[in-house]
Amino acid sequence: MGVLRRWPGALALAMTAFAGAAAAAEPLPPVPRFVEETDTAGLQSRFEGQDEYMVGGGVATVDCDGDGLPEVYVTAGVNKAKLYRNKSSRGGPIRLAEERSGLELTNALGAYPIDIDADGQADMVVLRVGEVEVFRGLGGCRFERANARWKLNSGNAWHTAFSATWERDQAWPTLAFGTYVDRARPEFPWGSCTPGSLWRPDPAGGGFAAALPLVPGHCALSMLFSDWNRSGDAALRVSNDREYYKGGQEQLWKLAPGQAPVLYTAEQGWKPLQVWGMGIASHDLDGDGLPEVFLTSMSDNKLQRLEAGAATPSYVDMAFKRGVTAHRPYVGGDIHPSTAWHAQFADVNHDGLADLFIVKGNVGNMPDFATLDPNNLLLQLADGRFVEVGQQAGMASFRRGRGGMLADLNGDGLLDMVVVNRWDKAQLWRNVGAGTAEKPAPMGHWLQLRLRQTGGNRDAIGAWVEVDLGARVVRQELTIGGGHASGHLGWMHFGLGDATRVKLRVQWPHGDWSDWRSVAADAFYGVDRELGIVEWKAP
Amino acid sequence: MEGAVMRSPLPAAWARFASGALLLAALLAPAAVRAQEPVARPASAFSANVAVDWFQLSLLLAQQTPGFSPPVTARALGYLGLTLYESVVPGMPAHQSLAGQLNELSSLPWAQPDEVLHWPTVANAALATMNRMMFPTASAENKGRIDLLERSLPLKYTQDFDPATVTPDIGNRSESFGKLMAMAVMTWARTDGGHEGWGPLRRSQATFVPPSGPGLWSPTPPGFAPPLLPYWGANRPMALKRVADCPAPSPPPYSEEPGSPFFKEAQEVWRIANAATQEQRQFALYWADDPGKTPTPAGHWAYIAGDVLKARKATLADAAEAYARLNIAMSDAFVAGWATKYQVHLIRPVTYVQLVIDSNWVPQLMHTPPFPEYPSGHSVQSAAAAGVLGALFGADTAFTDNTHNDRGWGPRTFRSFKAAADEAAVSRLYAGIHFRSGVEGGKVQGACVAQKVMALKTRR
Repeated sequence: MGVLRRWPGALALAMTAFAGAAAAAEPLPPVPRFVEETDTAGLQSRFEGQDEYMVGGGVATVDCDGDGLPEVYVTAGVNKAKLYRNKSSRGGPIRLAEERSGLELTNALGAYPIDIDADGQADMVVLRVGEVEVFRGLGGCRFERANARWKLNSGNAWHTAFSATWERDQAWPTLAFGTYVDRARPEFPWGSCTPGSLWRPDPAGGGFAAALPLVPGHCALSMLFSDWNRSGDAALRVSNDREYYKGGQEQLWKLAPGQAPVLYTAEQGWKPLQVWGMGIASHDLDGDGLPEVFLTSMSDNKLQRLEAGAATPSYVDMAFKRGVTAHRPYVGGDIHPSTAWHAQFADVNHDGLADLFIVKGNVGNMPDFATLDPNNLLLQLADGRFVEVGQQAGMASFRRGRGGMLADLNGDGLLDMVVVNRWDKAQLWRNVGAGTAEKPAPMGHWLQLRLRQTGGNRDAIGAWVEVDLGARVVRQELTIGGGHASGHLGWMHFGLGDATRVKLRVQWPHGDWSDWRSVAADAFYGVDRELGIVEWKAP
Repeated sequence: MEGAVMRSPLPAAWARFASGALLLAALLAPAAVRAQEPVARPASAFSANVAVDWFQLSLLLAQQTPGFSPPVTARALGYLGLTLYESVVPGMPAHQSLAGQLNELSSLPWAQPDEVLHWPTVANAALATMNRMMFPTASAENKGRIDLLERSLPLKYTQDFDPATVTPDIGNRSESFGKLMAMAVMTWARTDGGHEGWGPLRRSQATFVPPSGPGLWSPTPPGFAPPLLPYWGANRPMALKRVADCPAPSPPPYSEEPGSPFFKEAQEVWRIANAATQEQRQFALYWADDPGKTPTPAGHWAYIAGDVLKARKATLADAAEAYARLNIAMSDAFVAGWATKYQVHLIRPVTYVQLVIDSNWVPQLMHTPPFPEYPSGHSVQSAAAAGVLGALFGADTAFTDNTHNDRGWGPRTFRSFKAAADEAAVSRLYAGIHFRSGVEGGKVQGACVAQKVMALKTRR
C-alpha cells in the first residue's frame, strides 16, 4: 500500500501492465511525467504521403548553434522537412522556432546528424524517397548540399535506413544505406527488395569512393553499426521487413578493413530470424559489457542477447522474460496487435536503469492491427524486467507513430520526447520529472557528456562510456544509426539514481580505456580524448 | 512523303466529276439509277452545323467522362478533327488527304470516284462512330446522347439533309464511308501510346519513378497526387516528326540563392499570387478549364473555333480543315509539352516557395496540378491553338468567347486569338502555379507546334 500511496497510478499500472503480478512484486520505479507541448512549443509538422511514405517519418536532434540545446529537424514526407531552432529556456517550457537552414526538403523519410568531414560542425544525412541528400554543416544552423562535393550519389531508390561508423585508421566515416522495395514495381512489391549500399572513404580524400552493394538487400528499415562483440570494430546490424522480402532474414554484416562486407552465417552462429523489422535499439542491459538488441516489428518485437558471449553472433530472444514484448495496446481498448517503429533505450526517470521508448502506429489502415496503438514507455525494474507506464507518464499517444527521439531539449537533464506521426502532426512532450508543467521536479541525478577527439571522427562515434554508480557500472556505446529513421548527435545522457558523484571512463574508438575520472552529478561535461574532462557551461 | 501516299486516281476524276461527270455517268448507267442519282455537291456546299454540333457534344463527353484530363481530351479531339477532315476531304476538290503527312499514317480510305456521297451524312456517321470509340467509358446517358445526335441532325438541319438529295443509296453509302473512315483513323490512333489514356496504367508501360534531386518536381499539396501521365510525352505526335522539333527554351538554372533568376521568378509568383487583382483572379479562373468541370483547355479552344465557324457561316469544308488543324495542333502541343515537362522535371512554385520563401504558402485560387512545372501546358496549347486559328481566320480577328457563358463568366470578346492565348498563358502565373519562364517558354513551344501543323499541306 505504501507503494500505491506514493504512486497514485500504480494500481492501474499493475492492472494493465503485462505480467502484472510479477511486476508488482518488484518495487515500482518512479514514473516521469511528460507534458505535451507540441502547440505551445511551436512545432508544426505533419508527415504526409501515400504509398512510398508508409515507412519513415524520422526526426533528428542536434545542437547546430552551440548553445547546448539540440535543434529539432523533422521530416514530413511529401510535406517540407523543417529545422526548428531550439529557443527553450533552461528548465522551462520547450520553445522551437522554424528557421531556414538549407535542410528544407520534400520527400524526406528520415534524418541522422553526423560530422562527416570532421570540421566540428554537424552535417546531416537525409533519407528520402529518391536520392539520399547529405548536407554539410556551415555553423549557425546553416547547411549546404554536399552530395557532389563528397561524391555521394546514392541513386533514386527508396532509402529507408542509415548508419555510420569510422573504420580503423580512417578519418572519414563509412556510411551504410538501406533501401526498401523497387519503386518501379508498386503493383507487386513482394520479392522486390533492393540492395543497400556501403560507402567507404575515398583514399584520395575529400569524399567517398564508389559504393559497394549490400547484397542481398531484404528491405531494410533500420541499420546500426555496433561493436556487438567488443572486438573494437563495429559490424552492421540490419533489421529487415519480412513483409516484402523473399527468403530474407535479419542480417549482420562483418566489415574487415579494406575488404568487402560479408554476412555472418549460420556456420558462424548467426540464427536466421524473420520479423517485420522496423527499428533497432541497442544497450548493455545486463551489465556484461555486450549490447543487447531490441528489434521492433509488428507485434513480434524481440529483445536479443548473445547466448554464448562474444564468441559467436548467436542471439536468443528474451523479450517475454524481460517484459518487453509490447505486442498489444496497453490502453485504449484496441485488442489488435501493435505495430512498433522507433525504439530507444534511455533512462527517462534517472534511476540508473535504461528504460525503453517505443513509437507505435498502424502502417495505414490495416484492419488486423491496432488502430489505437499507444506509444510505449517501459521502465526498467531493478531485476531487469520492464513495466509499462505510458499512460501514467502522459505520453500514450494514439496517433500513427513512426520515428521519435528522446533528447534533453530544455537542458534540465531530463529527456524530453519527440514523435513523428504519419498523416498527423508531430508531437513533443516535455519531461517534467516528478513535478508538473508549472513546477518541474528532478527525479534522480544525471550526467550528460559530449565526447571530442581530434582528427576524423570528432564526436568519437564508436566509443564506449562507463559510469560507475558505486553499486554498479552502467555503460553506453556511442553510435549513429538505428531507431526508425531518427538520429541524435550530441549529449550522451546517463541517469545516476542516488549517486551525486560518479566515476567515468571512456574507451575511445579503436583505442584503450581512459583512466577513471570522478565528476559531480547533474552537470554537462565535455570529454576530450587529450584534454580530459571539462565541465560545460551554457553560454 | 507524297509518294508514300496510296492514292486513287480521284483528284483528276473529281474535277471531271464536278464539271460534267454526271452526264457521262448517266449515259453509262442503267436507266433506273440515272433517274434517281442526284447531283453530287461538294462539302463546301453544306454548312458547318453538323461538325460544330458534334464537337459540342464531344466537349460535353470530355467534361463528363472520368479520366479525360487535358492531354487525353486534346488527343481525343485531335483524332476527331482528323476523322472529320478525312471523311469529307474527298468532297473538297481543292484539298488533299493528310495521310502521308502524319506520322506512321501512310494511307486512308478514299471515296469511290463513281459514287455520289452526301458529306453531312458522311461527317455525321464518322463523328458518331469516332465519338463512340473515343469515349467508350462515357455514361449510358451520354452514349444515348451520341445516338440521339446522330439521329437528330438530319432532322435539325434540313437544308443540309434535303431528302431529295439524300437517297437511301447515297445515305447508306455515306454512312458506310463515314464509319469506315472513323475505323481507319481509330486503327492508327490505337498505336500512338495514348490509347485508353483515360484508364489505369497500360500494362506495357513501366511504373514511372520520378527522379529526385534539388529543383526537381515532387508531388504538391494538398493532394500530393502522383504525376499525371508521365509517359504522355512519349506518345507519337501527329504532325510533329519528333517532339524535339519543337523544344522549349531552357528555364533559368535552379537556385535557392536569393537574387538568383530562379529565386526571383518564384518570388514573382509568390507576390503576384498573393496580391492578384480582381482582374487577374478572373483571368486565372476563366482559363483554368479544369477537367471534370469544363471541357478542359483544348475543349475551350475547340468551343471558340465552333463559335467562330458559326459566326462566319462557315461551310462543312471550312469546319473540317479548321477542326483538323486546330485539334491536331493541340494534341501535339500536349505531347510536346508533356515530353518537356518530364525531361526538365521542374519543381512547382508551391514547393519552391514553401522550401525557400514561405513555409505556409499555397496558391489561393486553385490547387497545383499533379505534374512538373516546365513548361506551362496551358501556354503551349493555347499558343498552338491561337497560332492555327490566327493563320486560318486572320491574326487580327476579333472574336467572342462563349465557352463559359453558362458559368456566368462570359461572353468575353478578344481582339485576337493571340491576345486570348497570352491571357490564358499568364493566367497560370496569376494562379500561382507556374513561373514566368514556364509561361513564356510554353508559348514558344506552342507557336512552333502551330507552325508545324500549318505546314501540313491540305491544298492541292
